[in-house]
Amino acid sequence: MEIRVRCNCGEDKEEGRCKEWAIVELQGVVEPQPGFHDSLPNLQIGTLCRPSSQEVYTLTIGYHELTGSKVPLKKPMMVLKKVKHSPLDRGESSGCGEIELQVVGIIRHRILFKNRPKALISKPQPTSKERQKSIMLGSVPSNQAL
Amino acid sequence: MESQETSSIGAEALLHMSPGSAVSVAYHPLFGPHDDLIVLELDDKLLPDVLHERCVLNSQLFVVLCTQSKTFAMKFVGTSNSVLLIPPANQYVFDQNPQNGANNHKEKVVAPVIKVVPGNMELVEVAPRLDKLKLLLSQNPCRLEEFDSSEVNPETRAGLYNWKDLKNNIQASDEELRSGLQALSAVEINSYWRLVDERYMNMILEMVLRNAVLNDWSLSALNEDEVVSMLVTDGFPAELARHCLHVYGEKVIDGTDTCAWKLDKKRVCIHFAREILRGGKMKLESFMDEWRQRTPDEMQPTFDLVEGEVLTERIGVETWVRGFSVSSLPSTPAERFSILFKERPKWEWKDLQPYIRDLNVPGLTSEGLLLKYTRRTQPSPEIEPIFSAR
Repeated sequence: MEIRVRCNCGEDKEEGRCKEWAIVELQGVVEPQPGFHDSLPNLQIGTLCRPSSQEVYTLTIGYHELTGSKVPLKKPMMVLKKVKHSPLDRGESSGCGEIELQVVGIIRHRILFKNRPKALISKPQPTSKERQKSIMLGSVPSNQAL
Repeated sequence: MESQETSSIGAEALLHMSPGSAVSVAYHPLFGPHDDLIVLELDDKLLPDVLHERCVLNSQLFVVLCTQSKTFAMKFVGTSNSVLLIPPANQYVFDQNPQNGANNHKEKVVAPVIKVVPGNMELVEVAPRLDKLKLLLSQNPCRLEEFDSSEVNPETRAGLYNWKDLKNNIQASDEELRSGLQALSAVEINSYWRLVDERYMNMILEMVLRNAVLNDWSLSALNEDEVVSMLVTDGFPAELARHCLHVYGEKVIDGTDTCAWKLDKKRVCIHFAREILRGGKMKLESFMDEWRQRTPDEMQPTFDLVEGEVLTERIGVETWVRGFSVSSLPSTPAERFSILFKERPKWEWKDLQPYIRDLNVPGLTSEGLLLKYTRRTQPSPEIEPIFSAR
C-alpha cells in the first residue's frame, strides 16, 4: 500500500516555512509523583533557564538541577502525523480509508542534558512534585562512604 | 508577576531564549502517547523531496520510503533517554481544551510537552526489491497468438499490470521501477506493462534483419517509419515493432527529423546466443559456427560478448558451453550467491565477476560482498584466487 507524505507548510513550500519544534532530552525517566499520574495536563515539569549568553541551559526539576546545552542535530528530524481519511471524505464508496502522513514540523535543535542531576539541597525531599527516576539519583557516586 | 503574551507558549519560546530568561516546561493540556506523531530523522539532502511531496511510503513486507529516484528502509531506533517533544505555539490545537484559559501558567513563558518520544525512525538506503517485478510480468507475457485473434478476450486481463498496479506491488522508487522495466525489456501495451515472449521477439528481430538485407538498409541507420510500416504489413503490431528497435538498438541523433536506429551489436549477438543455447549445452566450436551464421554479417560475434550469459566447461579435450544468464538470477546477494554456488562450488574471479557485477547493495562494495558471501582461497600469490561458499 502506498502512503503519501504530504506537506502543508505553505504555498511555496520553502524550508523556512516548516514550523520548528523543540526537543528537551534528558537521561532517565521523568516520573511524576504517584498522586499526579491522572492529572498530567498542564502540570509543570520544571524550569528551564539560560543563565548567560552561551548556549548553556539548566533545567530544574523539583530539587534537582540539570546542566546541558543546545545542540544542533546532525540530521534534521521531521515530525509526521498519521492521518486516516475515511472513504467518505473523498466520495469513495469502497475501500478502506486512505492513510497519509502529514509533515507538521521540523526539528533542528535539541536541548540536551546528558549529565547526572545535581541536588540543590543536601537531602532529597520525598515531597517533591516531580522527581527523576531513582536510578539516576541512587547512582550518584558518594564520597562520604567510610 | 507579569503576564506574558500568548505567542510565547510553545517551541519558539524555548528555541529563542534570551540570556537570563526562564521558561516553564510543563505537560501540554493534550499530553498523551500520541502514537500518530512520528519523528523521522532524515538527511538534509532528502529534505526538499519531503517538503515538495515527492515521497511516498510503501508498506508491504516492511515500510520503505521512496523518493523519485531512491528507496529507503525505515528503521525504528529507540532511546532510553526522555525525549520531550514540544510543538510550536498554536500548532497543537490548544482550544480543544476550553478550561485551558483558567490554568496557572500565566506567570511564565511555557514550553508544553505534547509527548515523550520513545525513539525516531531512521532511513537506510536499500536496493529496490525488483525480483517480484519479473515474477509479476511473467504471469502473462505477450505472445503471437494474442494478436492473431481479433477479439479481445476478457480473460487476458488476468496477470496484467498497469503502472499503478506495479507501484502498489513493488517497493521501489519511480526511477528504479522504470529502469527495472527497461532492464527486463518490458513494453507498455494498452497501458499494461508486458514482457514479450522470447520466441515472438525473435520472430520480430529476424524479420527486421531479413528486411534489412532485402531492402539494403544499413543496420546502423534503420529508419523507424520504414521498419515499422514494413513489420505492420507483415502482421506485427506497430508498438512491438517499435519495441524491437528499443530493445536491440539505440536511437541515432543526427539532427534531421527522421528517426533512425542503430542496432546494438552486443544485444543482437546475445539474443542469438541465447536462442542457440535454448536447446541445451553444445560444443564450443559448433556453437560459434551457428552463432556466426545467425548473426548479421556486419556483426562478427566474439566470445567476450557472452560474459554473464554462457558458462564454459572442459570435458576431456573438449570445451562445452551452455546458457546461464545473469538476468535470470535473483538480485538479492544472499540468494544470488546461493544459486551461483549450487551451479558451481568453485569459481574463478574472471568467471564469477560477470555474475555479480550488477549486484547493487548501498553501502557495500564488491569486495565487501565477496567477504560476506564467499570464502577466498589462494594457495600462492601467482595462482588466481578461487571463491567458494562460506
